Amino acid sequence: MVFVAGVDMGAKSTKVVIMDDQKNMRGKSAVRTRPEFTAVAKEALGLALDQAGVQERELSYIATTGFGRYNVPFRDIQITEITCVGRGAVHLFPKTRCILDIGAQSTRAIRVLESGKVREFRTNDKCAAGAGGFIERAAKYLEVKIEEVGELSLRSDQPQTISSVCAVLAESEIINHVSNGQSVENILYGVHQSLASRALALLKRVGLEEEITFVGGVARQKGMVKALEETVKKKVNVSEEPQMVGALGAALLALKRLEKIRQNGREAPIKEEARVA
Amino acid sequence: MSIDGLIAQYKEILEDSPLNYAAQWKANHPGSKVIGCYPIFTPVELIHAAGMLPVGIIGGGNRLEIAHADSRFQSFICSIVKSTLELGLTGKLHFLDGIVFHSICDPARNLASVFKRNFPQMMVEYIHFPQNMTSRFTEDYLTAEYERLKGAYERLAGKTLTDDDLQRSIRLYNEQRRLLRELYRVRRETPQNLSTAESYVLTRVGTLIPVEEHIEVLKEALAGLRDRDEKPKDRVKVILEGSFCEQPPLELIEGLEAAGCYILDDDFLIGWRWFVEDIPVEGDPIRNLARAYIDQSVYSGVKHDSREPKAKHLIDKVRETGASAVVILAAKFCEPALFDYALYRRALEKLEKEGIPHLSLEFEEKMWIFDKARTEVETFVESMLFD
Repeated sequence: MVFVAGVDMGAKSTKVVIMDDQKNMRGKSAVRTRPEFTAVAKEALGLALDQAGVQERELSYIATTGFGRYNVPFRDIQITEITCVGRGAVHLFPKTRCILDIGAQSTRAIRVLESGKVREFRTNDKCAAGAGGFIERAAKYLEVKIEEVGELSLRSDQPQTISSVCAVLAESEIINHVSNGQSVENILYGVHQSLASRALALLKRVGLEEEITFVGGVARQKGMVKALEETVKKKVNVSEEPQMVGALGAALLALKRLEKIRQNGREAPIKEEARVA
Repeated sequence: MSIDGLIAQYKEILEDSPLNYAAQWKANHPGSKVIGCYPIFTPVELIHAAGMLPVGIIGGGNRLEIAHADSRFQSFICSIVKSTLELGLTGKLHFLDGIVFHSICDPARNLASVFKRNFPQMMVEYIHFPQNMTSRFTEDYLTAEYERLKGAYERLAGKTLTDDDLQRSIRLYNEQRRLLRELYRVRRETPQNLSTAESYVLTRVGTLIPVEEHIEVLKEALAGLRDRDEKPKDRVKVILEGSFCEQPPLELIEGLEAAGCYILDDDFLIGWRWFVEDIPVEGDPIRNLARAYIDQSVYSGVKHDSREPKAKHLIDKVRETGASAVVILAAKFCEPALFDYALYRRALEKLEKEGIPHLSLEFEEKMWIFDKARTEVETFVESMLFD
């Protein structure tokens, strides 16, 4: 049996998927990203391998993605998160042609072909207001745990508008809402609506296709999914573990690459950078 | 010197203190004059023939803090306009006796007046290039405009320019541009032997030093390149368009290449290599220069020529180079480049149908973080590799 790994080193957490050559997910893990990138990647890989009951030496190919993709020295190839998320999402939802990925630090709208190949994409500017980091800061101000944000926001009955496009100014708006006696639920839903409207702008730039899939850590928050569906005026696909889609895509591309290398009868990564490290 | 050493030496100058060389040149040549040339097109032959040094004033790079210029321009003005003024306001252009602008866009046009007001000691010239290339008066008009400029430089230099002076300058710049065309040919044919960042360094240095020296640099570089024999890497071959005025940081150019591209052609510093062939030396030199702009200059976002649609040129360039993708790299708030993108749209769609995709990126001269641009280019490259 052939096994490959997809390692997605994101700004907040590092996710790993172990896959066999029949595209079955055999193991997975997620650990918090720390500055010791190699150790973090090893730790996450070890956990996923344990779950899969696979030894590290049995891995035929390791593809990395995410902002830390170059920081994993034992990789065979690094692939951008946009390419990986495209493949992962189409694997889970074959009819999807439009993907929204909101992670801790960045938001991306991606249009893909039937194969999962990226056709067009847009990323947010280097501003935190459109990504998960903003929700985290809002949660901190409101003194709620980040895991509770999604459920709390669902209970909102009078969402409070957060109009600022800047995360710092938006925070002062949140403080204003708090001092005006607004409920935490209503403020949090306002935060989700604010992210959803920014996401809509990105999605429109790549073209809103019929079936939209929402991935990334922020997609775990039910309130955010609701806000997004209201904004785009349709249901969106969300997998059980939307934060794993990047690692899943990396594993799928690792398989694809491995297959190509074996067909060609050679062992060479696509890009020279992988060899350097 | 080895080719690597030669490039490293000029790279360091470009990154640290690009304008110091001209200031030093002036100090070493008492009584001589230096004229700044704002992008894009300057008939440098007129400056050179008068015994003055033309120097490219092409923004302030990403190490210049914009502290004063921001208060004089709106936030939607491109970086190069602001950083050029900042250079002046912080005394970094003290060695310039004059500066020349021309009609490329509204901010650049107005920058000429801003310079006139703020730096009265500097001779600020403005060239009104013709916008209509099909009129029978165009050549006479531009000849008259160049004659006017020639008169201004004669007065500044205290010297009357003869046809011989001008013809000698034309001959020298013809040689420089021929060598630059050769450099670009080497890169296009063997991109593994000469990176775009390297060819950029070798081209940009020519905007800072006397043409006689630059010719020697280029000859040495081209000779050195003959010894390079690198193995081609698995990269996507692209052409790059849109950076004709404000220049991207060198790190960004390096990043685009490291993301998996061979850039076969570009429009960086296009004004310093703006003729597709030699300008005739015989005959009236001023008229020859004017005619060359009208009939022999490269296409660009800031040259209006209804005879030659830019989109057609873009398609031709893709065909000639054999590129498999196009990267539009436009400066933020650069109206001509961003308008061009709209004009190119149809050509790009046509290319797309043939399997030649494109990617549009924006940059700023004062960029520090290249991750986003690099991720975008990597994704673009992967979309072709993982087909």
